[in-house]
Amino acid sequence: MLVTIFNVISSGLIMGGVYAIIAMGMSIQYGVARILNVSHGEFIMVGAFLTFMLVKLNVNPLLAMVLIMPLMFLLGFILHRTIYKKLNDVSGSSGAFESNSMLISFGLMFVLQNVALQIWGSQQQVYAFLQRSVNILGTAIALNRLVVLLLAVAISLLFYLFLQKSRLGKAIRAVSQDATSAALMGVKVHRVGAISFGIGAVLAGCAGSLISVINQFNTAMGMSYTIIAIIVVVLGGMGSVPGALLGGFILGFIGTLVNYIDPSLSLVAYYLIIIILLLVKPSGLMGGKA
Amino acid sequence: MKKIMALLLAFVLLAGLCACGGKTESAKTNEDGGYKIDRNKDTIVFGGSRSMTGVYAFFEQSAYGPIYKMWVDDINAEGGIYVKEYDKKMEIELKVYDDTSDLSTMTRNLEKVIVEDQVDFILPPVSTAFLYAAAPIANKYGKILVGAEGGSASLKESIAKYPYFFSSLNFSDTQAPALAEIFKESGVKSAYVVYIEDLHGTEYSQAVIPALASISCDIKGVKSVPADIQDMTSIIQDAENTGAEAFLCLTYPDQGFLALNQSIALDYNPKVWFMGSGGGFSSTLDLYGKDMVQGIISWGAWNPKSSPACAEYFEHFKEHWKDDPNVYYDYWGLVHYYAGLQCLQKAIETAGTLNNEKVRDILASSHFDTIIGDTWFENNLIAAECFMGNVGQWQDGVFEVIDRTDRATSDPIIPKPVWPK
Amino acid sequence: MKNLLNEFRANPKKAVVPAVVAAALILLAFLPGMTKPYTTIMLGSVIMYVILSLGWNMFSGATGYISLATAAFFGLGVYTSAILGDYMPLPLLMAVGGIAASVLAILIGVITLRLRGVYFTIFTLGVVKLLEVLILYLEIHLNGTRGRFVVSYSFTDVFYALYILLIVQLIAIVVIRRSRFGKALTCIAEGEDAAQHIGINSTRVKILCFAISSFAMGAAGAAMATRWSYIDPGIAFNANYSFLPVLMVIFGGAQSLLGPITGAAVFAYLQELLTTEFPYIYMLAMGIIMILAILFMPRGILGVVHDLVARARKRKEAGRDAHT
Repeated sequence: MLVTIFNVISSGLIMGGVYAIIAMGMSIQYGVARILNVSHGEFIMVGAFLTFMLVKLNVNPLLAMVLIMPLMFLLGFILHRTIYKKLNDVSGSSGAFESNSMLISFGLMFVLQNVALQIWGSQQQVYAFLQRSVNILGTAIALNRLVVLLLAVAISLLFYLFLQKSRLGKAIRAVSQDATSAALMGVKVHRVGAISFGIGAVLAGCAGSLISVINQFNTAMGMSYTIIAIIVVVLGGMGSVPGALLGGFILGFIGTLVNYIDPSLSLVAYYLIIIILLLVKPSGLMGGKA
Repeated sequence: MKKIMALLLAFVLLAGLCACGGKTESAKTNEDGGYKIDRNKDTIVFGGSRSMTGVYAFFEQSAYGPIYKMWVDDINAEGGIYVKEYDKKMEIELKVYDDTSDLSTMTRNLEKVIVEDQVDFILPPVSTAFLYAAAPIANKYGKILVGAEGGSASLKESIAKYPYFFSSLNFSDTQAPALAEIFKESGVKSAYVVYIEDLHGTEYSQAVIPALASISCDIKGVKSVPADIQDMTSIIQDAENTGAEAFLCLTYPDQGFLALNQSIALDYNPKVWFMGSGGGFSSTLDLYGKDMVQGIISWGAWNPKSSPACAEYFEHFKEHWKDDPNVYYDYWGLVHYYAGLQCLQKAIETAGTLNNEKVRDILASSHFDTIIGDTWFENNLIAAECFMGNVGQWQDGVFEVIDRTDRATSDPIIPKPVWPK
Repeated sequence: MKNLLNEFRANPKKAVVPAVVAAALILLAFLPGMTKPYTTIMLGSVIMYVILSLGWNMFSGATGYISLATAAFFGLGVYTSAILGDYMPLPLLMAVGGIAASVLAILIGVITLRLRGVYFTIFTLGVVKLLEVLILYLEIHLNGTRGRFVVSYSFTDVFYALYILLIVQLIAIVVIRRSRFGKALTCIAEGEDAAQHIGINSTRVKILCFAISSFAMGAAGAAMATRWSYIDPGIAFNANYSFLPVLMVIFGGAQSLLGPITGAAVFAYLQELLTTEFPYIYMLAMGIIMILAILFMPRGILGVVHDLVARARKRKEAGRDAHT
């Protein structure tokens, strides 16, 4: 019994931590750059595969995760500066920009996924890293899952602190709260937008790395993670990073619980959650922007 | 004016569509094709839709793919199949499309290959679900479909509706009882069943669970998993808690490997660890090493010891594919798929025509001499007695046939040794 | 109808579009007898996408609410045929499928009263996915199967079924446009609050529009299912049926009737052409075209053509003026 509880908690923390990172990335892209990035899952996939390529060169996957961060940032930053900036120029209103940016993200999703397919093929991939088990509190837990758990929680918290304490973090929060006032106070709104999009990509990349350590991955994995990100972001409140953090862990635990009861119900539970959520409290847990 | 331009654009588009259709002599073709001899024909065209990419790519690469390709190479090396009505040997030409493991793409491709490319014979698609979708199509157009990687247990009832559908692989209906026999003899008293939420999984669970129950094997738990499940820790731990003596993973390779990895990581050592599809491939042996897979049981089964003909074919196969690292040895289907193709080939030769209807009648009713011995179809499924084995187990790097019949190449090792550290 | 004819007499130019469309439709009617079987199959698929795109545009283009529920309506139609296919003829299957879709649309409309913008879109996508996984769960656990066989109809039958459905849909669109209901829709699109002020019950109008537009999607699903012989929740509720019509309308242009038709025709044809030889290139191309279309062709390719023609005319007029 204790074993079961321990497992549910540890799996819940692992899933929750990964979900939180994924959702915070999407949240910051929406909150600051006003882009609902439906291709977020594809960035996760890219992160997983870039890590995999380094692992094949005998690089430690955790080190690989750090190494790919600047790459992911550049990818996001450049995409924003080119495509989304152009979209901003041609969009009439912010409402139009929001819906158009979502549609552009769809296009981006197809592009990223199929480019990845050409480069990396369609096979399921997996690599072994720290596969032995350790004994914690009398129960066995795989070492790689333990490491991922710790890192996921650490990254989530670090990012949250970054937003609260650092200057860039404050600028980001200012823009997400009120872009006009932030601009008046001298914040370069467009630059912050692009940086936020880049940071979102970095977070996605980290999540992808962590996922690749404990799970199988393939070039088609993006869509399911995008959907989870959307669910968590709505759960936490669109545009609210603390909400995404909280929502990620909540969904992670719910997912683990349902998975334990009946794995085939997990997805049903997830979609039910978002449907009910949108009907009852679309603004989510932390309020956030409507 | 602007509207006229826009309209002309639409009209041109439409005209273009029609143009590419064009009037041809075969315009009068009715749905079932109607068989005609074409004197200009030089080759027998085999067409189909295979999953070259996507989640089923593994099977095209390592299961049926290498078999039919080598079969074509071998036949063409001898000049082709002799077809009496053309009075010559005709080589085989392949026309295969990639369905990216997507079912609707597969049905579209299959129809295209039959209706537009008008191939002579068709190859089966990958997986039980795809076979189900393909059977009615093949039947509608009167094209023989000899299934390979996929089951047919529930299709059995509809076989009467689909006389053109055949199956060359043994499946849950013969394998489940064979497994139950092994359990009974080895005194396995309880089991925990995990199956994939797909036709493959439902067919197997519906055969295995009753078969085990009939030998008084207690079913301690049943879990169904979606194809994209990422974490089976809770399932494995649940299995361990129930104390079930046998853990059965009736899934496709991806889920099987996940369960295996996590079982090893969690040090879960039941008496019997059973892996479904994928377990009997040499890739599993290569990935984990013979010590780790020692004792794992899976569906099958044959190995070079099964018969001299099998051994000879295996050497030929190894030699043919020695430079391709992606081709593995499938100790379940390999010889059976080839036997199916041999039957088809001999049926064509006997019929002396490429007319599917005539070939079908011969295929359904004759005995053929193949590498697995005397082979024939009973109700369009290769008769149970023809198969080299139903259940196999890894023993010292060899996938031994452990059926409790005279086909066995070894006795089962139960309980299996614990996972080496 | 008489009004229509009078209008055409007064302004012959207005009759050109409908005339050519009518001519094209007549041509289509005779096509199956004149051409290769595979062309008929392909055209059937094109018509299906035209129906989905027109249906999508009828609501989303008109009201600005981007709906991704198309696959849900289509899927319901597919399952109608799968479940009831042995008991009724094709036209009835399509009708029942259409009705089922409309019922779902009304349900969605009623419960999403307060949802706007991005939330509405996410909700509709959620409906598609929920239906897919829920039905899969029920099929596996209650029926011990994943998919179902569907009664089979010839491709010629399905072609004509979809063809007639398209005609019905086109007539419906034209009739609605010219009716009070249609004008109410336009008011709502231009400003929902203002429309409410002048007494339009915008909620009722929107829900009705949603329901009508989804009927054709359900009917199309019921028809297509009979071509596939075997379906499962993943095939029926494939999210691509939600995304592709959006892409097609964006590419073609949302403002006129011809935009969705053009977009659907081009893409469905491309799909048939590329899927067998280059399946992944096709998807990649779609993504790129989508991005380019949104960035550079906000009113679709017809908008581009329209602008080119207008510019040419202006140049001609400027040239004429310069000479006078």
